[in-house]
Amino acid sequence: MLQLLFKNFIRSKGTKFGLLFLLIIGFISLLIGLQFQEKQQNNIAETTIYQKEHIARNASFHKDEIGLLLYYVKFSLVNKTLPINSLVIGQRDVNPSIQSVTIRGLEAQKYDSELNNPSNLLAGNIDFSFVLLYLFPLLIIAFSYNLISEEKESGTWKIVATQSSNTFFYILKLFYVRILSLIGLLTLLLIIAIIFLQIPVDKSFAVFYGIAVLYVLLWFSVCFFIVSLQKNSNFNAVILLTIWLFLIIILPAAINTYIINKYKVPEALELTLKQRNAYHEKWDMDKQTTLNKFYEHYPQFKNYVLPDAEFSWLWYYAMQQMGDDESAVQSKELEAKLEQRNHASEAIAQFIPTLHTQIQLNEIAKSDLKNQLSFLKETTKFHEKLRLHFYPKIFDNAPVEQQDWDDYKVETFTDATEISFTKAFLPLLAFNVLLIGMGWFNFKRMI
Amino acid sequence: MKLLHTELLIARHFKNSVFKNPAIYIITLFIGALLLFATFLGWDNYKSQNEASEKYQHESREDWLKNPDKNPHRMAHYGNFAFRKSTSLSVFEFGMEPFFGNAIFLEAHKQNTANFSEAGFSNSMLRFGEISIGMVLQILLPLLIFFIGFNAIAFERENGTLKLLLSQGISWKQLLFGKIFGIASVIMLLFIPTILVLVFVWLLLQNFTISADETFKMILFILFHFIYLMFFCVIAVLVSASSKTSKKALVSLIGIWLILTIILPRTSQAIGAYLYEAPSKVQFNSEIEQDILKQGDSHNPNDVHYKAIKDSLLRTYKVDSVQKLPFNYSGFIMTEGERISSKIYNDHLEKLLKIYDKQNSFSKAVSFLNPYIAMKNLSMGLSNTDYDSYIDFQKQAEIYRYDMAQKMNALQIKYISNKKPGAKEKPLTIGKEHWADVEEFHYEPKGISDVLKTEILSIISVSFWIIILFMLIRFAAKNLNAI
Repeated sequence: MLQLLFKNFIRSKGTKFGLLFLLIIGFISLLIGLQFQEKQQNNIAETTIYQKEHIARNASFHKDEIGLLLYYVKFSLVNKTLPINSLVIGQRDVNPSIQSVTIRGLEAQKYDSELNNPSNLLAGNIDFSFVLLYLFPLLIIAFSYNLISEEKESGTWKIVATQSSNTFFYILKLFYVRILSLIGLLTLLLIIAIIFLQIPVDKSFAVFYGIAVLYVLLWFSVCFFIVSLQKNSNFNAVILLTIWLFLIIILPAAINTYIINKYKVPEALELTLKQRNAYHEKWDMDKQTTLNKFYEHYPQFKNYVLPDAEFSWLWYYAMQQMGDDESAVQSKELEAKLEQRNHASEAIAQFIPTLHTQIQLNEIAKSDLKNQLSFLKETTKFHEKLRLHFYPKIFDNAPVEQQDWDDYKVETFTDATEISFTKAFLPLLAFNVLLIGMGWFNFKRMI
Repeated sequence: MKLLHTELLIARHFKNSVFKNPAIYIITLFIGALLLFATFLGWDNYKSQNEASEKYQHESREDWLKNPDKNPHRMAHYGNFAFRKSTSLSVFEFGMEPFFGNAIFLEAHKQNTANFSEAGFSNSMLRFGEISIGMVLQILLPLLIFFIGFNAIAFERENGTLKLLLSQGISWKQLLFGKIFGIASVIMLLFIPTILVLVFVWLLLQNFTISADETFKMILFILFHFIYLMFFCVIAVLVSASSKTSKKALVSLIGIWLILTIILPRTSQAIGAYLYEAPSKVQFNSEIEQDILKQGDSHNPNDVHYKAIKDSLLRTYKVDSVQKLPFNYSGFIMTEGERISSKIYNDHLEKLLKIYDKQNSFSKAVSFLNPYIAMKNLSMGLSNTDYDSYIDFQKQAEIYRYDMAQKMNALQIKYISNKKPGAKEKPLTIGKEHWADVEEFHYEPKGISDVLKTEILSIISVSFWIIILFMLIRFAAKNLNAI
């Protein structure tokens, strides 16, 4: 029976075409992922070489003034790109995965954006998550919207009903065949991805796969529920597409627009003006006042007193420091706002399975806003570490040649956020159970 | 009155039958609410974005002017900002705005990136899209048209009423046009109030003082959206007329909608982006730096290029050291450095923009097949939220930056003594009255003629579609049959 149903399903032209289409576009998404991965790797490789040459060149130019040398020299921090990131590019195309900073004021450098073609950003990537989130549901809908209704419309349902001992079981089998073929396709694509993109099969991948399977099941549950209402095919098609439209476009877009409007970030612009003034006004102010503020922040440097000269690097870096110190309030506010945005969207997303799936996949791939915020925080730490390392050398005017400049390698930030099974699976499971339960109830009542 | 009498009768009849279905009220109400929500948020967003941008543009200007007497080169590093402002039509069409950087810091020696885009501060939710009037008109209404229209003729065929109609002397042409008008009249019940609200909000935003340019853009915005919606009415009726059953009509129409609005726009852009890979910032900057080093590095005391300049200056002025030159030598060198580095930067930028153009060319070409892309491009162009507007903003900012830096260098050459002050002497300064010589940055959005020039392809595509659809109606009227 099951075999026959399967043959019947797979033999249809529409089925073959649909599955083939999904396989091809799924494969294209992997190609795009591969290109993204290579670009990220090239960037890191290039940055490593660049940093070495750049430091060496500048060290040879500015042999006598380490303060001047460090005015120019940039140090890079890389936000580690996991191979699984190729499946979910997320926000990694908008935000740079490499930060290069000098030890001067950080706030003026921290938010530098990546170079981008805005047309690409608007259209969005065709990564695997797009195929999973947008296209799988469409195929699921196409495969199941007319189950039962079609047979009723063509008059064959009565024959089926009299020939099979349990019609509900028959319906389940119809779904089973479809679920199996789409989960099969999903698994096939991910196996290709593992080989092709060298994705390690670890806990994150397991969660990724789990979410993907639950998401596919969710759409079958939606179809199961709608089919259980036993309306005609046209009604099913319209209603299922409307649900798709709501979950994929209208609700996410409405929520996003709401969040952006609720948590506006004028702090960003204020911050950038504030740090500019805070630093530049010090040029025209009493030097000792600036230094006193500097000592307040770093008491350990108190023994470096202001030299009796119009210009000194101690004073210069104290001024730069003030750019950051005096805009710290705005910087903190901006950070808090962005964290609020992230929290609010995650909280709402639990109730919208499409959003939840996207956000969870991004989290696994470390391509979400949270990862970006952690990276910014890490950049601050990285910058502070460099400052504390170089400040005494600058204030002592340590000889440039005695520093081992080869030691300053590109550093890497690894986002260690753990994935929580409950948080990832629970909302999807709940929706599945709810929809299947309601569908079951409808069928039991009506058949 | 005889004119189109039958068509209007059919249209009225169709409209009445649509309103017999209670679902249409729910949908209309819902879309109405969504339009209001979109208008409100678009307005709110526009106001806060423009107020912030104006406020900080103004504040940064005040800050600039407040600077005391100092060395002009200090001022070149103090720098200015370019804050992006939106046009009033962007309330209705966000376009690429969320992906645009909102502020560029403009200083000497360095072309900074446009920072603080909405997208950079969002999680992936933004990538699902945004709710704007444009989005409702361009994506949701076509689907609604299809949902209303799939039955138009296919249902009559299924019922057998189609034969009755045709045997009563109604021609196919009348029937097709009648149904098209019928669907259009339903959609106009949403479209016309939307446009009224739109125009009202738009007038309100500009305090009822409108420029010719803006008005022209607004009229075209409305006109193109109207034509665009009519396309979908025609497509719905044609597909319905050529389908055996209403189910087939519905499935085909849904397929067409998905391909036009969801699949093609993303795929065509993705193909472009895949085939023409653009460099990342790291690569872009390091290439520029290498080229500048090749040309000459003004920071390298032994650089050949700058040594040649120095020698020729010494020869021309017949002096033996740069301190004896009658003008400020380092100001002169910086002018030269700025000139070289900007030229190299602009060359690289041009190259980069060429790659972006190639990436976009796919989607532009597809706009011929896809009225959605043509409409989207037109609508973004008219609201100055398209790719070209953004590039234009960045270019205007760069021109301003270059002029500012060179003006400061000129002041240094002219007014700053060539003799460096000693270690304990006060630094050399010029009076603060010079700061006002640099004008405030003002971004001028592209005017209507430029917009139409860049969007010529979309306009041709729209005209092309009008012709094709008329031809299809004629063809259908001749070849369709009742069974």
